[in-house]
Amino acid sequence: MIHHAFLVQVAASGAAVAALVGLAAWARIARPLNPLDEPRARELLEQEFPGRRIEAVWVGIDGAGALAKSGAAALVLVRVGDAYAARQIPWAQALSSGFKSGQISLDLGDVAAPRAVIAFASWPPKDLAA
Amino acid sequence: MTLDPVTLATPLFILTIVLEILLARAGKLRAAYETKDTAVSLAMGLGSTIAGVLTGGVTVAASLWVYQHRLFTIPMSAAWAWAAIFLLEDLTYYGFHRISHERRIWWAAHVNHHTSQHYNLSTALRQTWTGGVAGTWALWLPLSWLGFPPAMVAIEKGISLVYQYWIHTEAIGRMPRWFEAVFNTPSHHRVHHARNPRYLDRNYAGILIVWDRLFGTFQPELAAEPCRYGIVKNLATFNLLRVAFHEWIAIGQDLVRAPRHAAGWLFGPPGWSPDGSRETSAQIRARCLPRDAAGGGPFASAAVTPSAAEG
Repeated sequence: MIHHAFLVQVAASGAAVAALVGLAAWARIARPLNPLDEPRARELLEQEFPGRRIEAVWVGIDGAGALAKSGAAALVLVRVGDAYAARQIPWAQALSSGFKSGQISLDLGDVAAPRAVIAFASWPPKDLAA
Repeated sequence: MTLDPVTLATPLFILTIVLEILLARAGKLRAAYETKDTAVSLAMGLGSTIAGVLTGGVTVAASLWVYQHRLFTIPMSAAWAWAAIFLLEDLTYYGFHRISHERRIWWAAHVNHHTSQHYNLSTALRQTWTGGVAGTWALWLPLSWLGFPPAMVAIEKGISLVYQYWIHTEAIGRMPRWFEAVFNTPSHHRVHHARNPRYLDRNYAGILIVWDRLFGTFQPELAAEPCRYGIVKNLATFNLLRVAFHEWIAIGQDLVRAPRHAAGWLFGPPGWSPDGSRETSAQIRARCLPRDAAGGGPFASAAVTPSAAEG
């Protein structure tokens, strides 16, 4: 049986967690994050996939994500809070991903990064070489 | 009543996080807090406390059983006994921490602590929910078998955890040189939390950094190579359950897909795969760092000597 004092401790800790999260939200001290542009997207992709040859990069219209073609792979960059996460999926899969309401939804096939949603004007991109 | 250093230090944890946030907002020190990231870190800490209670009975029972079969009887009242447990517990922590990074089954329990892309005091509280299940607590049993009372071992473990709290900050640059030489510090531990290839799987120390220096896993923080925090493949979600269990689920998926490689999936290093399609930390380092040394790569700070970067 769980001790009463432990329940009080958990409840108090929960209240403290809520207060600290509220304080962090109020403080607005996340890292400043400008919308992605192509040079910044390329820089981040080079950090994530060092040495990979990138043929083309498409940056989301809201600057919150990017997708690059690297041979038979699509390199995906997606904003997470005030940072980014990256994954690689087959290019053919990226190309055939559903495009709805100005967004593509990419199944990243990873329990730690299940899906990336990137806003584009159109998809597949019009400047994609045949 | 049991003396639990972590419980006793909880008000200090709260107060210092408040201070770090307020001083960062006032521009008095360097710290970044993202709201969802902070929420995940603190919720993981709270969940870890609850999970610890659920598995704590087994841990205590095992310690007491082993202590009943001890080699010696070591008195809690002796100063030399506290000096000995300090060193032996810290060495045990080094071993625990190292296998928690270098073997996937234990990485699955420990990875949570590294999933934040931030490095602040709240990150220290981003603790595992599955450490009890992973069984790494068994590494401390030999201390009770030697004859250290289980309460003494528990207190020393608590002291180590409390010590490691304050080093999770970017607010402190370097401690005095003598301190950096002997103790784990914010600088050393920033390296440990960094995902730069050079910094992967380095600085496993709890309190004394000398273990890393002794066993060849020490890496100083280089001024020319700022730490980028997180894991090799950062999470793209703040979902608490995914944060807590993602590596366990990934192991499960691998076991279902290729059960005959179970030993490798479980006890190989994180990133191991039978066909070599993934990369371990060692392979990432080998791929990235020689390219650097030749010059021109994004990790070109290989040329920066530690002594040039320190100070």
